[in-house]
Amino acid sequence: MPNRKYKDLWLGTALLMLAMTAPLYVNDYYQSFLLQVFMMIALGQAWNLISGMTGYVSFGHTAFFGVGAYAGALLLLAGFPWWLAVLKGGGIALLLAIPLGLLTLRLRGPYFAIAMLGLNEVGRIAATLWTDLTHGGDGISLAPDLLPSLRTNYFSMLTLATTATLIVAYVYRSRFGLELRAIREDEEAAEMVGVNTVANKVMAFVLSALIPGAVGAVYAMYTSYINPQSVFSPALNIQIIVIVLFGGSGTVWGPLIGAGVVMVLRELLWAQFPAAHLALLGVLLLAVVLYLPGGLLSFVRARPQGRADSQVRKTP
Amino acid sequence: MELLDPIILLQLLIDGLLAGALYALLACGLNLVFGVMRVINLAHAELMLVGAFAAYLLYHYLGWHPLWSLLLVVPMVFVLGFYLERVLIECVVGRPLLTSLLATYGLSIILLNLGLLAFTSEYKSVPELQGALVMGEFAISKPRAAAAIVSVLLTAAVFLFLDRTRLGKAIRAVSEHAQVAAICGIDVRMIRMLTFGLSAAMAAAAGVMLTMIYSFSPESGADFIQKCFAIIIIGGMGNFAGAFYGSLLLGVVEAYVGGFASSQWAEAVAYLLLVAVLLIRPSGLKGVAYAKPQV
Repeated sequence: MPNRKYKDLWLGTALLMLAMTAPLYVNDYYQSFLLQVFMMIALGQAWNLISGMTGYVSFGHTAFFGVGAYAGALLLLAGFPWWLAVLKGGGIALLLAIPLGLLTLRLRGPYFAIAMLGLNEVGRIAATLWTDLTHGGDGISLAPDLLPSLRTNYFSMLTLATTATLIVAYVYRSRFGLELRAIREDEEAAEMVGVNTVANKVMAFVLSALIPGAVGAVYAMYTSYINPQSVFSPALNIQIIVIVLFGGSGTVWGPLIGAGVVMVLRELLWAQFPAAHLALLGVLLLAVVLYLPGGLLSFVRARPQGRADSQVRKTP
Repeated sequence: MELLDPIILLQLLIDGLLAGALYALLACGLNLVFGVMRVINLAHAELMLVGAFAAYLLYHYLGWHPLWSLLLVVPMVFVLGFYLERVLIECVVGRPLLTSLLATYGLSIILLNLGLLAFTSEYKSVPELQGALVMGEFAISKPRAAAAIVSVLLTAAVFLFLDRTRLGKAIRAVSEHAQVAAICGIDVRMIRMLTFGLSAAMAAAAGVMLTMIYSFSPESGADFIQKCFAIIIIGGMGNFAGAFYGSLLLGVVEAYVGGFASSQWAEAVAYLLLVAVLLIRPSGLKGVAYAKPQV
């Protein structure tokens, strides 16, 4: 349907224009808030690429974010310019993802989810124990004169969110994306018609590690202080998953909508019930999984193109 | 320290087996649920902590010894699990694994954060039953020994229940093939509720035992669920007896790594073991191949 394709393109361009000009007329608080929305969009799209498209749930994606954050902070301290630190942060996460992907994606079904579940914890333990490199639990502070300005960080994060969205949009329409969705629907059948399932999954996984790595590096520069708890954060992990599922997993617009709605909700809830907000995210996750498998997007579009499990097989 | 001193080696073996016995109680319950309903319960460790905090409250306000609170906590959590299955897990049985993983993940987030709201992230402990039995060259910590004995007894009781009774046979039948079991006149839904209740009760019992040994916080679940996964991967998913041996193995390996390297690395052992096993045999050491949900 070419019409819708152009509509998406126009809507996307308009949103991007709005985001690019926003720093001209909003104050630092909203700039900070938007930066966090972009961060969640980028992370959500990255997760979407592996978990939304192939149905292989990654419970450990924050590990790549953490690795990128540490890499970015350490490279900045070592005297690299900020943009190189960001690129290398992404590169290091990608290099780490290759062996991990080769190892874990030969596994079917639950084994992959289980293998990924502990990855974030291992990252945190490693960051705490490897004191020579990471300063352990004390974390790393970055001196203000090393850091790019808030506006620079804003545009870096916007670039990453845009890149991630474009990657997902491109993959979605490509043969590669079709193969990934075939894996999600029925892996054996996909294999039977000649899809190289392992190569496709590893490719999607590696691509999906690159973005969180770079995002982590920008995050380190944005907050100017990181420690093992703040970047290998289980809470962030939860947010990524909730955002994508809430918006509509396996779609291009899902993470954008999810990030927008969840972040605004979070900002409102955070002020009122700071402690209960994660529990509420859990409730939201349950509600979406049980009652709205296609996410918010399934309201907008008549034909659900998201998760296939809306047709439920139910026996005694 | 002479590293290869047989006494130290034996002492570490004993410590490892004692710890492993507690893991067994936890992991067997998780595997039971996977076997019967093909649902991986990511909230299993949080159910354990429900038991632990219940025991803590009973100790703190009423002065109950954890071994006594078992009698109250375990039946209560059984009922909780029974109804939890009905309102939540029943909705995801038979749906793709992704759905049940995410649903139980949501449940674990809710329980964890309610725990943090109620008890903060401060570590709690129940300083009851301390000290060690010294026998010749060996020292056996009393709380660990008590926990291990209770765990082994409970695990054995559940095993005998599954193996010998009519109801146990029905549970095994559902785990073999739910549709055929239903045709034979088994109330499959009731069996699933019972199984989940039983599994939750086992987790809660492990949680009560845990209070005597470790200090714990609402966030302690993550370590334990990781250990459980390593265990059921080693033992084979859905294999009750396999989980028992896997637990003892993990306990012993952790004890040796803790003894010879550092206790912090012992935390990561479970994960490394899990990855190593998956690398060698993608379907677990006891090799029950993963089957598609057939419920």
